[in-house]
Amino acid sequence: MNTAFQRLQHDQRAELLADWLQHLTTTFDRHHAHPSSLDIQREVLFNAILATLAGVPSDDFRLDPESELGRHLSRLIAEQARQLANPADSIGSLLALKSILARALIALDAESPVIDELLWLDRVFDGLSLFAFKSFVDIRERLIAEQSLSLLELSTPVLRVWHQVLLLPLVGVIDTQRARQVTERLLESIAQYEARVTILDLTGVPVLDTSVAQHLMKTIDAARLLGTRIVMTGISPEGAQTLTKLGIRFADVISRATLRAGIAEALLIVGRRIAPLNEERPA
Amino acid sequence: MRIPILRLERILLVSIQVDLTDNDAMQFQSDLVERVAEIEALGVAIDITALDVVDSYMARVINDTANMVRLLGAEVVICGIQPFVALTLIEMGRGLLGADCAFNLSQALEMLKRRIAERGDTRFIGDEDV
Repeated sequence: MNTAFQRLQHDQRAELLADWLQHLTTTFDRHHAHPSSLDIQREVLFNAILATLAGVPSDDFRLDPESELGRHLSRLIAEQARQLANPADSIGSLLALKSILARALIALDAESPVIDELLWLDRVFDGLSLFAFKSFVDIRERLIAEQSLSLLELSTPVLRVWHQVLLLPLVGVIDTQRARQVTERLLESIAQYEARVTILDLTGVPVLDTSVAQHLMKTIDAARLLGTRIVMTGISPEGAQTLTKLGIRFADVISRATLRAGIAEALLIVGRRIAPLNEERPA
Repeated sequence: MRIPILRLERILLVSIQVDLTDNDAMQFQSDLVERVAEIEALGVAIDITALDVVDSYMARVINDTANMVRLLGAEVVICGIQPFVALTLIEMGRGLLGADCAFNLSQALEMLKRRIAERGDTRFIGDEDV
């Protein structure tokens, strides 16, 4: 005696698959380019799900990530997550299959009730959804971590403006981790170039608050220990007001409103200045 | 009441003549810092000749303003402190006014100019927007 699922698998496999793919194409894939490899992957996944359903029902279905179905599903989800698809679409495509199968199950035999089969279907798809959700989030989180790491690398250059003059333009939000990295880089560069002056440009820092100020203070103190002087530039009028109202004092730090003023100041400290040429060069 | 901010080349002059409310103080501070940033001022003279009473609140407002201006890279001198005001300020606590002080406006301007010259700011030499 075949179970209802085995009959479905045997008799209606092709139609159900076509139904599902058709549904996915009209509902989810409308706005995206539709790679043909996706259909093949979905078919493989579909077969694996049907095979699981046709197996022996258990009370407690938990998807084994190492099983064939687990591997197929996580591969499909991984691809969708990397393409920055909507998580609702990924899970939604699974749930669409569930409702298609449920309808087919009910239509299979109008006489006898299929409650046990429906419950089994429910348990299997609950497990699949949970698994899909978890792997989606995992992959997205890994993606975010990778991106913030690369942002960190990108956004902390130490520039050599002139002999013994360094420029550290800070761009973006400064948190503990970034502050530490910035400090490390800066100290390395100061030592490498024997900088006498370091310009700390804050034009690109959106918010100045207590924690940012604390991080800056640490950076400045560390740099001072190496014997370099700090010129802070690019504090906006609003930033100056906030810092003062928070009661933060940058004692003994030269501060200038613009990078231009800061560079002039820094060059002065090393005994140089930018002066106009006497004769003009031909353009 | 809005406090007028006068410009003398790269120096800004402000004269506080009445006690400021919270809102006045905020308005004054943001007006001043905006202006300092706008013209890249090198110095600011804050004149309080007309103030007969300076309480701890006003002292803090003045101090804060001086600190903000310094963060924007300009020198600050406070001038015109009345003898009686000086007395009460000292009684309330030393260092209530942290910025440097001058007797009157002309001394304040001299002081600012000297400081600016000492700083040796070279960035406006040969500049068109002076």
